[in-house]
Amino acid sequence: MDQSVAIQETLAEGEYCIIISFPAVQGALCEGESRRSRLLGLVRYRPERGGEEHALFLYTHRRMAITGDDVSLDQIVPISRDFALEEVSLDGEVYFLGSDVTVQLDTAELSLVFQLPFGSQTRTFLQEVARACPGFDPAALDPKFLWLSRYRRKEPEPESPTPRGWKSAAGTRPGRAIIGGGDSSFDESRPDGKGLLVDRSSRGQDKPENLLPRQNKSKSEITDMVRSSTVTVSDKAHILSMQKFGLRDTIVKSHLMQKEEDYTYIQNFRFFVGTYNVNGQSPKECLRPWLSHGIQAPDVYCVGFQELDLSKEAFFFHDTPKEEEWFKAVSEGLHPAAKYAKVKLIRLVGIMLLLYVKQEHAAYISEVEVETVGTGIMGRMGNKGGVAVRFQFHNTSICVVNSHLAAHTEEYERRNQDYKDICSRMQFRQVDPSLPPLTISKHDVILWLGDLNYRIEELDVEKVKKLIEEKAFQTLYANDQLRAQVAAKAVFEGFSEGELTFQPTYKYDTGSDDWDTSEKCRAPAWCDRVLWKGKNITQLSYQSHMALKTSDHKPVSSVFDIGVRVVNEELYRKTLEEIVRSLDKMENDNIPSVSLSKREFCFQNVKYMQLQVESFTIRNGQVPCQFEFINKPDEVSYCKQWLRANPSRGFLLPDSAIEIELELFVNKTTATKLNSGEDKIEDILVLHLDRGKDYFLSVSGNYLPSCFGSPIHTLCYMKEPILDLPLETVRELTLMQLQTEDDGSQLERPMDIPKELWMMVDYLYRNAIQQEDLFQQPGLRLEFEHIRDCLDSGMIDNLSASNHSVAEALLLFLESLPEPVICYSVYHNCFECSGNLTASKQVIATLPACHRNVFIYLMAFLQELLKNSAKNHLDGNILASIFGSLLLRNPAGHQKLEVAEKKKAQEFIHQFLCNSP
Amino acid sequence: MAKKTYDLLFKLLLIGDSGVGKTCVLFRFSDDAFNTTFISTIGIDFKIKTVELQGKKIKLQIWDTAGQERFHTITTSYYRGAMGIMLVYDITNGKSFENISKWLRNIDEHANEDVERMLLGNKCDMDDKRVVPKGKGEQIAREHGIRFFETSAKANINIEKAFLTLAEDILRKTPVKEPNSENVDISSGGGVTGWKSKCC
Repeated sequence: MDQSVAIQETLAEGEYCIIISFPAVQGALCEGESRRSRLLGLVRYRPERGGEEHALFLYTHRRMAITGDDVSLDQIVPISRDFALEEVSLDGEVYFLGSDVTVQLDTAELSLVFQLPFGSQTRTFLQEVARACPGFDPAALDPKFLWLSRYRRKEPEPESPTPRGWKSAAGTRPGRAIIGGGDSSFDESRPDGKGLLVDRSSRGQDKPENLLPRQNKSKSEITDMVRSSTVTVSDKAHILSMQKFGLRDTIVKSHLMQKEEDYTYIQNFRFFVGTYNVNGQSPKECLRPWLSHGIQAPDVYCVGFQELDLSKEAFFFHDTPKEEEWFKAVSEGLHPAAKYAKVKLIRLVGIMLLLYVKQEHAAYISEVEVETVGTGIMGRMGNKGGVAVRFQFHNTSICVVNSHLAAHTEEYERRNQDYKDICSRMQFRQVDPSLPPLTISKHDVILWLGDLNYRIEELDVEKVKKLIEEKAFQTLYANDQLRAQVAAKAVFEGFSEGELTFQPTYKYDTGSDDWDTSEKCRAPAWCDRVLWKGKNITQLSYQSHMALKTSDHKPVSSVFDIGVRVVNEELYRKTLEEIVRSLDKMENDNIPSVSLSKREFCFQNVKYMQLQVESFTIRNGQVPCQFEFINKPDEVSYCKQWLRANPSRGFLLPDSAIEIELELFVNKTTATKLNSGEDKIEDILVLHLDRGKDYFLSVSGNYLPSCFGSPIHTLCYMKEPILDLPLETVRELTLMQLQTEDDGSQLERPMDIPKELWMMVDYLYRNAIQQEDLFQQPGLRLEFEHIRDCLDSGMIDNLSASNHSVAEALLLFLESLPEPVICYSVYHNCFECSGNLTASKQVIATLPACHRNVFIYLMAFLQELLKNSAKNHLDGNILASIFGSLLLRNPAGHQKLEVAEKKKAQEFIHQFLCNSP
Repeated sequence: MAKKTYDLLFKLLLIGDSGVGKTCVLFRFSDDAFNTTFISTIGIDFKIKTVELQGKKIKLQIWDTAGQERFHTITTSYYRGAMGIMLVYDITNGKSFENISKWLRNIDEHANEDVERMLLGNKCDMDDKRVVPKGKGEQIAREHGIRFFETSAKANINIEKAFLTLAEDILRKTPVKEPNSENVDISSGGGVTGWKSKCC
């Protein structure tokens, strides 16, 4: 059901609801328990100054909106530069495929959350909205949204049944524009008093879990560069590619991906991966022993913390001074031999992850995205869970996850579940919004660090400690929960871990290397671990750092050499070039193309009213195509009047063919100019393929002049059959002006009447004077052609045809005269004096001699016919009606006479039939 | 809204007498191939090729026209909208060179005023049959203030260079502030400047 029709009805002229290909997405505004369905319409407006502006129109609606009456405008959100619409995973709801899509709409003024139905329709809608967002092109004008003022100005009129939500919104807050009014001004209109569009900040207080994962975003945008590094990691590639994505770009991208090995090589980069559960402490010691002692300067640092801040404030307000403190401590602890740039800091309550790269690598880091997943209290809170950063390093995609999984020895299944939740709920936005979000597993390299909290099982505390003393780590490891769970494929499937050659990192008395002496007296465990997954990864070291004593955990580090795909620029260009060429080729191959069985058509000896047909075949190539004969410039039709292509347009499937007939037919309209040489049997037809080529078809031939279509006076000067005359003579005579009176200048006196007319009338006089239904029965086409040939070649003696055929030929002859027997110039005079025979005769007397003669001759013949009316059943009325409209023709055009005119013409002729001349 | 797949679209047109090698010039450029059999183009054909100039992806849509005299009135109607026209003659065919002035008049009458023109003397591999000296081609190009190349589709001489030069000349007068328009308005481009000395 396309509900955009209903929305379109409410819009003003010039505004267009772009949701043609998909109905307005029915969104449920989410606000706790209260959900209300809305129709979202993406409306486009094209201002006169150029460009386009868009706004989202929110409507309340009846169950199914069919007309404009079913929807009420609720709110307008202009799509300005600060507009953002992004997909979010709403806490409190488990995401699974096929579930509704939750999107968050942010502008400078408001923030709304919607749920949209799962499916391609929603995808298309989101894409359209993304496309409608004004770009970052500084040259483009800022949208002004003047057109929306129409909706703003409207004052509420109590008596008018305007939409409810709308009226109160505009009316209750005078001076306040509805645009951007995403606050409680709507509340008053809700009968249940529940605010529908609620500012996020006011909502946050009682529903902290909705807030937590999002707020850290702004916090993480710490911009200082570490160690006076001047290079900022820019997401330039990201920003640029956001602007333009299209089918072709997508294809190029996927081809580049397929051919990656052709233009990349593997280069090792040194990665430092560290994890440290700091037990809520502030940094008290230098971190260098952990981060940089005894190693070469790594290319990449991935440093993770857990229990950064255990205070209630950090938990509820997600704000902690510890973030800054530890960030500073790490930055100062990085290897002194190199300069590093911070790529990202991401934190969820106490779980923090920092990513640094050597300054010179910063330019090769792109598509950086961060995400957090809380798995703590109620399975959602941020006291446990994971944070992750994903990025592209050269051409390799890397995901680093820092997680703090559930505690307590017996809770290993809970830990397994936390891992699974993090894997399924950690979803990174893609550059191309039409692509599904990326998950952790979709990366070439995954580095997973953190306090995974797996313990040592089935050994009592003392036994564990004893084994540690003996450095019997292998025996201990046999009882490690993580090892057991991985072996059972219950967690971290496909991941690797290095050999544990260091003593457990948990739990010590703070400030010492002594095992936990507290009341709980925890058994030592390898809580803090580093795992990896992916190709070309070599672990160089895996150790703990006993020197650090700030926490009840010891920090762990691992150094890797990771093979990263690096682009060879030259080969890349070559590959890209090849892809572009192949796409061009594909595009060229997809230009519709056909083959024609024939392109030159010759019509020999075309005769008057004799159909000639030439046919040819259009055979299609591999692309479906639409063909059509198109008009040449300055022409009203695709071909001359005497020609027709049948069919003149059509559709062809690949490899199919169609036969086209070119039909040539000369009638009274076209004959005269062909006789006179003003027109020739010559034409070029343009066969056009939609989105494709044009083909020219040449038509040629010759026309055999005929008495049909020749003027009376021309025929009077032709003493020989028309076909015996040189074409030049026929042309000259046809073009000769009709003179009212003989000026005697002609070399030869013309005949009184055309001989062809005499031949037909004489034939009828001799053979058909008593013929029943003469002029009322149709003749035979074949006989007409025979009669025409006899007349044109003068072979009248050979004429043998039925009386009806000859009678019809006579009528056709009169009809084909370019100037009717009673000349156009006196047409109106005839009507004025109709009924007055004397006056009528005077009009006839003014006709040129040959026309006058023909008229008198015909009248005499018709009177002869009437004398035999007993036999032939003709009467004056019938004949006057038949001949009236042939002898008297409206000069205004060739169209048939109207009834009144027909009647008058009949009357005029009737006078001459009933009165002897 | 059409999906944007390239920065600019330039429409180019090949004109000139029948048999001078317009189709071969196009075929060499688009497919990097050459076919010796002569098949007269009876109609309008086109091919596309994407090139990169000054960091911009430019799609060239190149129209090949029928050269036969009897189709001239029809083919001139395809001039409109062309941003560049390549006027081709055959260095072994004097008549095709004599007709250049006629073709140039045709361009004046039917093409956009600011269309970028270029003269090509094709078949320059056939020097033994040459009847049009290179100097004559250069001279007429100079008189009309247009670029000139001698080309060979068969020996692949100057074909790519000619197309890229023409595209560059169009790009030069294309307003830069049209980053996402497929149909580029080149109306603000300056008129033809003096003869450009660059030639093969």
